[in-house]
Amino acid sequence: MRALDKLWHALDERLELDPIVEFVAHKVVPRHRHSWAYYFGGLTMFFLFVQIATGILLLLYYRPTAEAAFESVQFIVTRVPFGWLVRSVHSWSANLMILSAFAHMFSVYFMGSYAKPRELTWWSGFALLGLAMGFGFSGYLLPWNTLSYFATQVGTDMVSKVPFAGAWLLKFLRGGSEVTGATLTRFFGFHVAVLPMLTAVLLAGHLAFIQRQGMHVPSSLEEEAKRRKPIRFVPNFMLREGVVWLLGLAALAALAAFFPWELGTKADPFASAPAGIKPEWYFLFMFETLKLLPAHLFGIEGELLGLGAFAAGGLVWFLVPVLDRGRPGGGRGRAFFVLGWLVLAYIVGFTFASFAGVFK
Amino acid sequence: MTRQLANATLAILLAAGARAAAPPAAAAPVRAVKDACLTCHAKLSDERLRKPAELASADIHQTQGISCAGCHGGNPAADDPTVAMDPRKGFVGKFTPQAIPEMCGSCHSNAAYMLRYAPNIPTDQLSQYRTSKHGLALAKGATDVAVCSSCHGAHGVRPPSDARSPVYPTRIVDTCARCHADVALMSRYGIKGNEVAEYKKSVHYAALVEKNDLSAPTCKSCHGAHGATPPGVSSVANVCGTCHVSQLERFDQSPHKDAFAALEQPACEACHSNHAIGHPQDSWIGVADKQVCGACHSAGDAGAVAAGAISGALAKATAAETAARARVGKVKRAGMLMDAADVKLEDAHQAYIMATVEIHTVAVARVEKQTEVALAATAAADKDAAAAEAEIRYRRTGLFVSLIVIAVAMVTLALKVRSMER
Repeated sequence: MRALDKLWHALDERLELDPIVEFVAHKVVPRHRHSWAYYFGGLTMFFLFVQIATGILLLLYYRPTAEAAFESVQFIVTRVPFGWLVRSVHSWSANLMILSAFAHMFSVYFMGSYAKPRELTWWSGFALLGLAMGFGFSGYLLPWNTLSYFATQVGTDMVSKVPFAGAWLLKFLRGGSEVTGATLTRFFGFHVAVLPMLTAVLLAGHLAFIQRQGMHVPSSLEEEAKRRKPIRFVPNFMLREGVVWLLGLAALAALAAFFPWELGTKADPFASAPAGIKPEWYFLFMFETLKLLPAHLFGIEGELLGLGAFAAGGLVWFLVPVLDRGRPGGGRGRAFFVLGWLVLAYIVGFTFASFAGVFK
Repeated sequence: MTRQLANATLAILLAAGARAAAPPAAAAPVRAVKDACLTCHAKLSDERLRKPAELASADIHQTQGISCAGCHGGNPAADDPTVAMDPRKGFVGKFTPQAIPEMCGSCHSNAAYMLRYAPNIPTDQLSQYRTSKHGLALAKGATDVAVCSSCHGAHGVRPPSDARSPVYPTRIVDTCARCHADVALMSRYGIKGNEVAEYKKSVHYAALVEKNDLSAPTCKSCHGAHGATPPGVSSVANVCGTCHVSQLERFDQSPHKDAFAALEQPACEACHSNHAIGHPQDSWIGVADKQVCGACHSAGDAGAVAAGAISGALAKATAAETAARARVGKVKRAGMLMDAADVKLEDAHQAYIMATVEIHTVAVARVEKQTEVALAATAAADKDAAAAEAEIRYRRTGLFVSLIVIAVAMVTLALKVRSMER
């Protein structure tokens, strides 16, 4: 114990740790009937940590070439001790991370936490969700199986609809005109280098903003929050978050053991596309919407119009902190509250309808 | 590099010069500068006379420079129809069925002539045709039998390799059926007229249309194309053996070969039938009702005993393979990768197929030798499935233990928080 005290003293002497200790000791989390919403951000981060850990383990064996990718994943799940578990946890954790990020985003949205002065937190969170989806899209191709190959072909083909830059973007993503080994190698690069780097920077900013500004309390809950004793961040909230993380870990272990992530068959670029290609579930609502659109609408290509609408919708969602002027009596605008529910109903509705086979 | 390029250019120029200087082949029909046949016939209102002109552009002969006059004679350069279609100049409007094979054969039987256009096609069609049932009936004066144009078309003739040709593998069956499914016409020649309908129930037809396997046998594969005739009793085995080489080889080693010949039974056909050839089943073997051996053998004789042993060996291999496939499938659905077991099951199936080939020897030991191989491979796949099942149990136990550890940790943390916040 004395050694630890000595080490602390030595560090404190050099780095002046007192302000940090002071900050941590006084950091609190408001307590009200919707305090549960504060756990989703941390849970998302937990899944991210799992992703990093399992991703590093997978890197030890994975080979990013069209010739060896599928076989290397096959090797991981059949020969490497606990390889099946690591790969399955990586895949499941990716999905749970996106799910948790969506829950975090909507809870923040409905509590109106995006409003001034927290615009930067909202924007960095929005970008982080985009990066997470980028992780999902790029990681999906890496096992180089039939489904991921053709889903990537369909997915990358969408960028070719972008006016003016479409052809260039397609070539940039694919590393050529078709999905080939070159695409796999660059997706690998995005997945393990570019996206992690951007995520690290943005996440650091996102966390720093939260620490600087503290937790937001919606105006309707302010009174309750004032009345009740806040939760001390260290150690109470951390321990509570620990319970949530353990719950996430239990879910991951159960899913990985009972529903191991399928590997499928090796991609064959010369084979015809299998029927019923679908992207990952978090792209389904967009995928099914684009499929529903007619070939041409108002003289414009339906798919282009759909992508334009998604881009515009995304922009509105991004700019909500600026667009929502709030109500005179305090609180967020009613129109944006309704918009939130509509967007949530649309995403959840289309995703479930797609799984139920409504769009077949 | 530059010198090589210069030499290559010089060689090309010399070759082009030589071709330009070469005289046209003496007997080759040269496309007429003016072809009044096509010009006039294209304008005719009578469809029967206009159609040949419309079909001309797709005709292999026309594309090779052989115009209407190549077959019909006459003078294509003349505008006056009476001059262009002057019978004294060899013009023939409509050929009699008897004249068609001779007319087509005048070029197609000429090896030297055909060499200029299609050196890889045979030139014995006419001589084969004369030996065919069609040719023999035609020689006797029948006019309702197939001649060249009945199958290949008269105008707009395409090469058989063209998918639009009536004799292309996927279309030839229906081409034969135009006459051979006509019961009234066929009854005149003592043919049932149900042969094509029967063939369409066969594995051969299924391979042709479902798998698009162009090498699958069609009518002409067994009966011959130009020399079309039913194979005789003694030649059936040779016809089937063209493709089923291993089966024929084994049949020739079997006591059935001489026995079938003595009984004047068509070898393969006796068990497999002729047109409606189905997928062989293990259940065919035996002397009971609807089992093929029962046609000659009866319960208790040596053949029936051998059939029972063969049937038993096959059934054992099939049952073992089915069970192993089910077990492997089950662990696959539980998420296990079973590629190695799949290979073993494939080996087992290959050995089973070899056993079904060995049936043609009717030697029980030879069949059993293969079914033993199949059983060994199946047992190995089954062992893999058992190992995978054990692995699943291990994983689930591990999960159960880890969930307990996680639950204990959660409860401890929750209690700690509660005690702190009390």
